[in-house]
Amino acid sequence: MTEPPQTVEPTPGPGDPAAGALATDGPAPGEPPAAGPTPQTPAAVRRRASLAGAVVSALLVIAIVFGSRLLRDFDSALLPYAVATVFLAFGVAYRYTVWVSAPGARRLFKQGRRSFFSAANFRKAPTALPKMIATYLGFQKFLGARSHARWAAHQLVFWGCLLAAAITFPLTWGWFTFTSSTGSGPGYEMRIWGFKVLGFDSLSFFGWIMFHGLDIAAVLVIAGASYFLWRRMKDRGAITGQRFAYDLVPLICLVVISVTGLLLTFSSIFLHGGGYEFLAVLHMVSVVFTLIYIPFGKFFHIVQRPAAVGMQLFKYTSRRKDEAVLACRRCHEPIDTAPYVENLQGTMRDLDLRFDTWAEYCPRCKRVLRGTAYLDHVKKGFK
Amino acid sequence: MMGRTIFIDPGRCIGCQACVSACRECDSHRGKSMIHLDYPDEGHSVASLPTVCMHCEDPVAPCAEVCPADAILVTADGVVQQADTTRCIGCANCVNACPFGVPKIDLQAKLQMKCNLCYDRTAYGLAPMCATVCPTGALFYGTLDELRAERPGVQVADSFTFGSTTVATGVAMVVPADKVQWPVPGGLPVVEINGRDVR
Amino acid sequence: MTATDPASTPGRPLPLDPSLAPPGTRQFRDAGGIPADRWHADQNGETLVPTHCCFCGVQCGMYLRVDRGGKVFGVEPRNHDINRMRLCPKGINAYQQVNHPDRLTAPLMRGNRDEEFREVSWDEALDHTVAEIRRIQGEYGNDAFGLLGGASLFSEKTYLVGKFARIALKSRHVDYNGRLCMVSAAGANKLAFGIDRAGNPFSDILLTDCLLIAGSNVGECFPVMTQYLWGARDRGATLIVVDPRETAVARTADVHVALKPGTDSAFFNAVLNVVIAEGLTDEAYLAAHTTGWDEVKKTVADYPPSRSAEICGVPEEQIVQVARMFAGAGKAMAWHARGVEHHSQGVENCLTIINLCVATGNIGKPGAGYGTITGQGNGQGGREHGQKSDLLPGGRSITNPEHRRQICEIWGIDEAELPLAGTSMMEMVWQMQRKEIRGLVGICNNPFVSLPNYATVKDGYDTLEFHAQFDFFLSETAANAHVVFPVTVWAEDEGVMANAEARVVKHNKAQEPPAGVRTDTWVMCELARRLGAGDKFDFPDSRAVFEELRIASAGTVNDYYGITYERLEETGGIAWPCPTTEHPGTPRLFEDGRTYHPDGKIHMQVVEWHPPMDPYSEEYPLSLTTGRTVAHFLSGNQTRRLGALVEQTPRPWVEVHPSHGFRNGDPVRVVTRRGSEVFPALVTEAIRPDTVFVPYHWPVPTAANALTIDALDPRSKIPEYKVCAARIEPAERVDEVPAPPTAPGHQAYPETQVSRLDPLPPTSPQGRGTAERS
Repeated sequence: MTEPPQTVEPTPGPGDPAAGALATDGPAPGEPPAAGPTPQTPAAVRRRASLAGAVVSALLVIAIVFGSRLLRDFDSALLPYAVATVFLAFGVAYRYTVWVSAPGARRLFKQGRRSFFSAANFRKAPTALPKMIATYLGFQKFLGARSHARWAAHQLVFWGCLLAAAITFPLTWGWFTFTSSTGSGPGYEMRIWGFKVLGFDSLSFFGWIMFHGLDIAAVLVIAGASYFLWRRMKDRGAITGQRFAYDLVPLICLVVISVTGLLLTFSSIFLHGGGYEFLAVLHMVSVVFTLIYIPFGKFFHIVQRPAAVGMQLFKYTSRRKDEAVLACRRCHEPIDTAPYVENLQGTMRDLDLRFDTWAEYCPRCKRVLRGTAYLDHVKKGFK
Repeated sequence: MMGRTIFIDPGRCIGCQACVSACRECDSHRGKSMIHLDYPDEGHSVASLPTVCMHCEDPVAPCAEVCPADAILVTADGVVQQADTTRCIGCANCVNACPFGVPKIDLQAKLQMKCNLCYDRTAYGLAPMCATVCPTGALFYGTLDELRAERPGVQVADSFTFGSTTVATGVAMVVPADKVQWPVPGGLPVVEINGRDVR
Repeated sequence: MTATDPASTPGRPLPLDPSLAPPGTRQFRDAGGIPADRWHADQNGETLVPTHCCFCGVQCGMYLRVDRGGKVFGVEPRNHDINRMRLCPKGINAYQQVNHPDRLTAPLMRGNRDEEFREVSWDEALDHTVAEIRRIQGEYGNDAFGLLGGASLFSEKTYLVGKFARIALKSRHVDYNGRLCMVSAAGANKLAFGIDRAGNPFSDILLTDCLLIAGSNVGECFPVMTQYLWGARDRGATLIVVDPRETAVARTADVHVALKPGTDSAFFNAVLNVVIAEGLTDEAYLAAHTTGWDEVKKTVADYPPSRSAEICGVPEEQIVQVARMFAGAGKAMAWHARGVEHHSQGVENCLTIINLCVATGNIGKPGAGYGTITGQGNGQGGREHGQKSDLLPGGRSITNPEHRRQICEIWGIDEAELPLAGTSMMEMVWQMQRKEIRGLVGICNNPFVSLPNYATVKDGYDTLEFHAQFDFFLSETAANAHVVFPVTVWAEDEGVMANAEARVVKHNKAQEPPAGVRTDTWVMCELARRLGAGDKFDFPDSRAVFEELRIASAGTVNDYYGITYERLEETGGIAWPCPTTEHPGTPRLFEDGRTYHPDGKIHMQVVEWHPPMDPYSEEYPLSLTTGRTVAHFLSGNQTRRLGALVEQTPRPWVEVHPSHGFRNGDPVRVVTRRGSEVFPALVTEAIRPDTVFVPYHWPVPTAANALTIDALDPRSKIPEYKVCAARIEPAERVDEVPAPPTAPGHQAYPETQVSRLDPLPPTSPQGRGTAERS
């Protein structure tokens, strides 16, 4: 299989290249950059995307330097991880820019952004957006409609990864520090950017949670990812069209990271550090690989998924006006909100698909009209 | 151009919907039928029209082009896949942009679904389920030569007109010999002549 | 949170999920009955069991997919030479019956019809049944207890039905639902050829130059057979379709004769008249191989096209055109089905078609011949081995002393013990009303939907003192019985069926029956044992029955002796007669010009047309005709429970011509002298203005057969389903389709019944378009 068709000339426009594309793991409610009407060549898009990547990674480096109090809190043992996050930032910003430069994404995201920043919308339905974010990004209810088991497994992986990212990224960047006034506990202080946030006893339950957060995350991820791996071995529906690099590698990465991470804990507690160094290298390699892989494979959906909220918000805003539903020109059944169809027609014109008026007919009527045309103009009978 | 693909002949179709039931038996989307069966001549005759994905070649897959999430992939052999489950955001752009009215959408699951030429079967050397069971040959899967072996001299067309646009497709339709040089009308009604609405 | 209702009613808050989608793009109702969420196709460990479809007389080959747990879970096309991988929607969904939640899994019993059924043990149900048989036969004589079989049973079981009636019940009253199906063709075949089966295999259709389809909606009733029609046309054959409706095959036919129902013999007599007038007869063939030609010639002289055109309501030129096309073709072939057979002169209608084929010399050659398309899976095999009131195994006549002697010898009984001929199915119902028959066992039939004039049928069955029924789903008839025996579906036992070509095919067992379910064979043998005839019913399985059937048919016209299970598995099917185990079978009859009459000649029969039995009047000016739709089978007890088929066609309708002024979907009351019912109108130009059509698969109050007439053909005793006088009038609202009956404590599997109450007609007679299902 190949990547999406490359017949479309991506037509990016100028604008803030990095808005919403902060290189964080976990789903950021990304709002797309504005896109101008001037079409650009693929080379121009690539240039712009590279620039965006460079700016975002530079910003991240600066944030690391200042966040770790000019590297005072920076743990040099975590340097490879930190470098990987800088690459990640570059990759995500680059891919993001390319992605939102395509007409379909660009137009929809402009609309999403407009709905997002509309003060009127906010006044009318202040809870809509938070609810949508919780539904689509947090609890991912739509996955339950596909399969309850897949929803459960995805929730395990999702929360596991989120937890792990929330702990490790700031640690890597030297933003979090855990210090003990006695040098080795049990009393610890947690500091962010050097400011003390809270103190705790490492022997308490809370303390145990703080120190074993990553182990908990690993258990969640292993459970979820194993289910997905098992399914990809057994389910004919999943096996159909399955690609190793796209579908299996991410799962294997997650399992390897989690297992090696857990083994590190196991080694330090029960083996007095036996095999620790080997495991640490293995763990680091798998993490670095995964971070760099995120923008280019299946994991990119983490960055893309917030678009679902933008799309939803756009339709929601349009639907609030009752007259805004477009009915099929022939059968008068509702198709979708009128602004949405207009938006789609704009996209089709951008792409030089000159049958954009066709979008005002429902799919059934398109087929029936084509069938009638075939009967009238091609053949009515057998021969 | 045409390799192993589906050939549609509405003239032979008896509208029995075996294809619709058969599609539901496909392992990759069990219980969900992707094929459409319409009776376009309702009230006049029992004529029927089966619609599978036409796997547009030029322009390559309008559904994939309008997708804001790059969710619709096209394989090297020109098969337009259904939306990638991880990417699809359920916006319905493809549903309303497709000139043939093919994609369906699961609103609860936020997922587009459509005919993918039975990848799970063709990968094992089997024909797609609909064309395998079609009692009449209205849906035929194979090469043009294989079709001609069954039906000597049959002519097919693989381009359709929608207004001023011509769409070339991977799936072809049977046409009479005297119509073979013309694209098949896509059915887009004339709505405007010289700025005048003639609907 | 994610509200699913896309409608935004003013005053109600807009759902958080505002998504809309146009009709036909959004509905993924899981009609398969397996929620997609619980579906996991296991790549490994699946086996394919080769078998055939349980439904119509084409008998398409199919594989049933069996999982590692031994359960049937799917279907896979099979490259059998009957169907070459093709299947129709019924065939594709057939497997869903096997592990269907509506299956009966324990015998049901009750003292009288006012009580609820209760589940009882097999012993209790069998003992009670035997006690009732003894009581009724003791009080009123052996003939007061009747038995009704079915033609969807394996041939082994149909053989047992006949044997059980004659030896265990010792009753003359046995018949079967093939009586409602194609006995007219059987009668005509016997009269003309002395053998009761189609003359040519399906594959001969591909060789013909002109194909005449009379009274058969091939595209819907035998969809897979359409490939032979189209194959013939691809090779240049012309197609003539005779049908009051413009069906899917009629739509593109070279000639579509849309005649008035009940006028077939007038039409074919006129065609023959033209053939004679234009000198297109094959006089040499007629002289060498026929008797009665002169009389036929004389009779058809009274049917000039002008006269028949008026009777049939078709243009005169069309009759001439058909005559020239059929008689002028090098090789011509005629196939017919219920459309000409379901008449009070059904046998005669078939004979006029036979006369046409014979007069043009189109008999017994590759691409030239004659056949009838059996409706039920074993419509052919079911009538061969003795479950018909007047027949004994091997197609022997029960009134022929020599035949009686042969069978008594095989069965090991005294000839005096063998009962005489009984009566036909509809006549038995009248006898029930008259209390001549007071007890009944029904196996594999559902007369409450399938017999005409429902009021009479219901009254007859209600008058019965005792009624037991065998079925795997609780049919409308079984729901009215005293005892119901839960038996196997076709995939849970092995056996043979003979398809419309008289090709015997073997069905294989794909899974064990569910707990509590027994084979029909076991139940009949067990009843026989308790009735004291155990020694004659010592059959552990179908194979043992088949061995006896082979011997019982040896030397007869319907000779199965050379057919064994092993040979069937090797060959994929053998057409009888097959006298020895080396014989290849006989796909094509009369190749040597000889028929199975003692003189070897074709006995041509004189036919005079007469009007249908239900007279037209000012009050009842229209013809009501009935038939099938592609998604359902016969009485619908099987198909009305399969989600995909209910989705395709949830309810019956009345098909009316636009000239009556109704709009699509209007409630229309159809009134006949027997009753009236309200259906939604399907307004279409594809039907004659003087004719209305209602499909018959549904029970009252949506039953076509509550309206049809119980007039019978005097010879075949087939009811006149295809024409009765009717009128239509506007009504308030359509009658609702009732849910299929189920055992107490169960409800019909809700997943499959979602669209049953849809008040609209389908988009087209073949069903609702896929976009019409939102």
